[in-house]
Amino acid sequence: MTRIVVFLLALLAAFPAPAAETPAAGTLATQTQATERLATETLNEGQVLRGAFVQERFLKGFQAPLKSGGHFTLAPGRGLIWRTETPFAVTTVMSPAGLVQEVKGNETMRLPAARLPFMSKLYTMLGGALTGDWKALEDMFAVERGGDRDAWTLHLTPRRTNDPTMPIRAIDVRGGRFVEEVEIVKPDGDRDRLTFRDQRLNAEAPTADEAALLASAARP
Amino acid sequence: MRRLGALLWLALVLLAGGYLALRLHDGLGFRTDLLALLPREEQDPVLQRANDAVTKALGRRVLVLVGHADRETARKAAAKLGDALLATGQVERIGEGIDVDRLKRLGALYFPHRQSLLSDGDRALLAAGKGEEVATRAQAQAFGFAGLVDAGLLRTDPFLLLPSFLTNLPFPLSRLTPDEGMLSVTENGATWVLVSAVLAGEPFELDLQDRLVDAFDAAVGEMPGVTVKRLGAVFFAHAGSKTAIAEASTLGTLSLVGTIVLTALAFRRPGPLLHNLLALGVGMTVGLSGSLLLFGELHVAALLFGSSLIGVAVDYSLHYSASLFDPLSGSPRDRLRHVLPGIALGLVTTLIGYAALMLAPFPGLRQIAAFSIIGLVGAFLTVVLWLPSLDRAGKLTHGAWMLRAAAGLWGFWEERRWRGVRVVLLLGCALAGTVGLARLSADDDVRRLQAVSAELRQEQDEIQRLIGATTAAQFLLVQAADDEAALRLQEDLAATLAGLKAKGSIAGYQMPAAFVPSARTQRENRALVAGALDGPLLAAQRASLGLPPAGPDDKAPNDKAADGVLTLKDALAADSVPFLRELVLGPGLHVVALQGLNDPDAVRAAVAGTAGVRLVNPTADFSALLAKYRHRALLLTGLAGLLMLPVLMWRYGWQGGLWTLLPPGAALILAPAAVGLMGQDFTFFHAMALVLILSIGVDYAVFCAESGVEQQPVTMLAVWLATLTTLLSFGLLAFSAVPAVHSFGMTMLIGISIAFLFAPLAARGARHNEATTGARLL
Repeated sequence: MTRIVVFLLALLAAFPAPAAETPAAGTLATQTQATERLATETLNEGQVLRGAFVQERFLKGFQAPLKSGGHFTLAPGRGLIWRTETPFAVTTVMSPAGLVQEVKGNETMRLPAARLPFMSKLYTMLGGALTGDWKALEDMFAVERGGDRDAWTLHLTPRRTNDPTMPIRAIDVRGGRFVEEVEIVKPDGDRDRLTFRDQRLNAEAPTADEAALLASAARP
Repeated sequence: MRRLGALLWLALVLLAGGYLALRLHDGLGFRTDLLALLPREEQDPVLQRANDAVTKALGRRVLVLVGHADRETARKAAAKLGDALLATGQVERIGEGIDVDRLKRLGALYFPHRQSLLSDGDRALLAAGKGEEVATRAQAQAFGFAGLVDAGLLRTDPFLLLPSFLTNLPFPLSRLTPDEGMLSVTENGATWVLVSAVLAGEPFELDLQDRLVDAFDAAVGEMPGVTVKRLGAVFFAHAGSKTAIAEASTLGTLSLVGTIVLTALAFRRPGPLLHNLLALGVGMTVGLSGSLLLFGELHVAALLFGSSLIGVAVDYSLHYSASLFDPLSGSPRDRLRHVLPGIALGLVTTLIGYAALMLAPFPGLRQIAAFSIIGLVGAFLTVVLWLPSLDRAGKLTHGAWMLRAAAGLWGFWEERRWRGVRVVLLLGCALAGTVGLARLSADDDVRRLQAVSAELRQEQDEIQRLIGATTAAQFLLVQAADDEAALRLQEDLAATLAGLKAKGSIAGYQMPAAFVPSARTQRENRALVAGALDGPLLAAQRASLGLPPAGPDDKAPNDKAADGVLTLKDALAADSVPFLRELVLGPGLHVVALQGLNDPDAVRAAVAGTAGVRLVNPTADFSALLAKYRHRALLLTGLAGLLMLPVLMWRYGWQGGLWTLLPPGAALILAPAAVGLMGQDFTFFHAMALVLILSIGVDYAVFCAESGVEQQPVTMLAVWLATLTTLLSFGLLAFSAVPAVHSFGMTMLIGISIAFLFAPLAARGARHNEATTGARLL
């Protein structure tokens, strides 16, 4: 029973107010303590981060983790495109305006940010985590740091320990120049592990295809 | 004999006073529901109950948005405001009740029935045989980015049907999101936090208004930099009553002081003023207790208009008192004998006017008529039976200049030298009357009759834009044999409503069936899930998700409900679905709330074919009621004029009767014409003023017609004084900011002035008549 409740809570109740627009990551990053010690690349407006990912979801009672892989594109201020390629093609686009999911070109889900601030919070957090901006996370999580400049670790735990609306028990992050691995532990023991590789940071503008996806997610 | 009559009357008045005191002691409440004013055959207890329930729930709701650029500041301010409101003791509960506990109950309620609950989209997909799309979406959510789906849910609901159902529930306040226990919305960098409350009493209770709004203003005053927007009947009512009270005290004081100064200046002694008050007071007491005895209860509107109509009684005592100026008058009894024909005839004609109101099957008009007839007779008897005995005063001799001045009006109508002016005036009146009446149009929209604060209305619009639709006053009432039948009716209507929404006739709707589908639909859903998903796709779905083939463990423990259906009764008992309670009034009696009703006619037409479903639009219904009353009041005023004619003709001959009716008739035509010329719309409140203008106008005319030539100045002085007091009490209302009151006052101001101005013309016919028959009563 608690599972459906947790689901509902994640859906209906959630996080503090959504950020309307992600500030240029670089400026914020220099202000946060975390980045002073980390060598993580930070993004500036106009830069685009691209890479490959593997997502493994360890769910209780499942024989094997739900494993998916693909490529992502993060354009600060505009959105995150998450293209899952295996086991089948799902494209998820998150923008400050909300989330859109497409399967084979068909829209299967559209959640406006106004309806689910959790979404845009997640966008802010994930965008932040990938670009070295920990500010959004530090608001909500206590951060323990470990390792050194070139191989660092972060262990995040929610600041409010007995908040029933908090769908996360802990987050572990490992990285060097870029974030390399994120593991999210849910209260009931389910885990999501994201592994990143082949990350490139450049000023290459989003392709027409990507721009169309971002624009689609920005529609209310 | 006279003494006996006076004593009998005293006994009767005391009896009436005692009865009234008794009723007041028992806690006399006046009816305030507008539907009680409908003709009895049009009253519908079910509709009334539904209307009461919806209006009450709506009226007691208070929604406030507290906004600030900083989320914490906004949240703290909202919490403080909520505490301040709660501390007044005038608030039953704070918050929409969408808390963690409520959501847990919501999950617990729906989870066992997940196979029977489908969102509209999923239902359409499955019915079209597109089960794969549903399966693919669930996989996309499971594998896709930032999966919100947890293991347990995926195991027990591998097609993720329940999340789809839940996210498509049509909750109002749709733009708000729970944020750490508070509902909020962000826009342009500002966080708006909702503070909602339910009042413990009615929003129209003055005491509650004061305490709540004072506490509210005080709390807001302590939050610099925070923007606060308000929505709620209590704020409108408070603003309205503040205006009304301020106005009532200014206009009331002006009227009272004016009347006292006027009578004091005119008579230079307190007697006439006291006589006036006595006659009015007795009239009110007798009228109130008499109609309470007759009807058992009174509507507050009847009290309001009835007491206005009794105001005519002032004419009688003033007419009696003014005879003090008559140098030829003798004892009080002589003076009474002198004015008696005038005031008796005035009473009879007025009674005819008021009795005509009784002819309509409208409870409101009947109560007004009975109240004012009894009150008027009471005031008349007080003047006739008591005043001569109470009046020990001698003649007044200081009035020479007043009499001369008063007589001036008579001279205007009689003397040759004014002939040219008279012709021009009459032509002007005829022209103004024609043009004005041609331009006159009626408007019964009740919203235009209220003085609504523009600032509050703007805040209300902003709140609705920010948080999404709120609960609305307009609704479809669904009436069926039981809950199941009512739910089915709504489901049959769903397509129609969706069409209306697409056309823009309505902005949105909430029906109980969206939260708890009928048993019929739940069974259909289960069959759809079994046929289009579980049968062909379940094994593949579980395999691709990495789940072992379905075993007995995968049914959650409380899935024994699978054979049963979720009933509305269970949903209500669990009290887990926000807002559902407000939509279900009783078994088989449901409300489909309509938001943003733009095209009531389209909605009415669309549901016309469905038995048991009707549109309830309280504002429009009340406007229609006002239109009916306006029609009726106009018709009856005309009828009353016709009924007075035989009496006047009996007294003054057929020509004289027509002359006597000329001044009030001119007022009845010119007052609405003036309304038309001013570009105002004609309403029920204008029409009610006409009833009063006819009665008062006929009094003035009769006083003039009864007057012998030598009494003309005294009569005219009495009519002057009566006119001035009437204008002071009713004409001043023209300066009210409340449109309804302003309409009434403005019509009175113009109508009474015209009736007064033309009154001497009534004497022409009378003298004519006198010459031929020489008839004189008494």
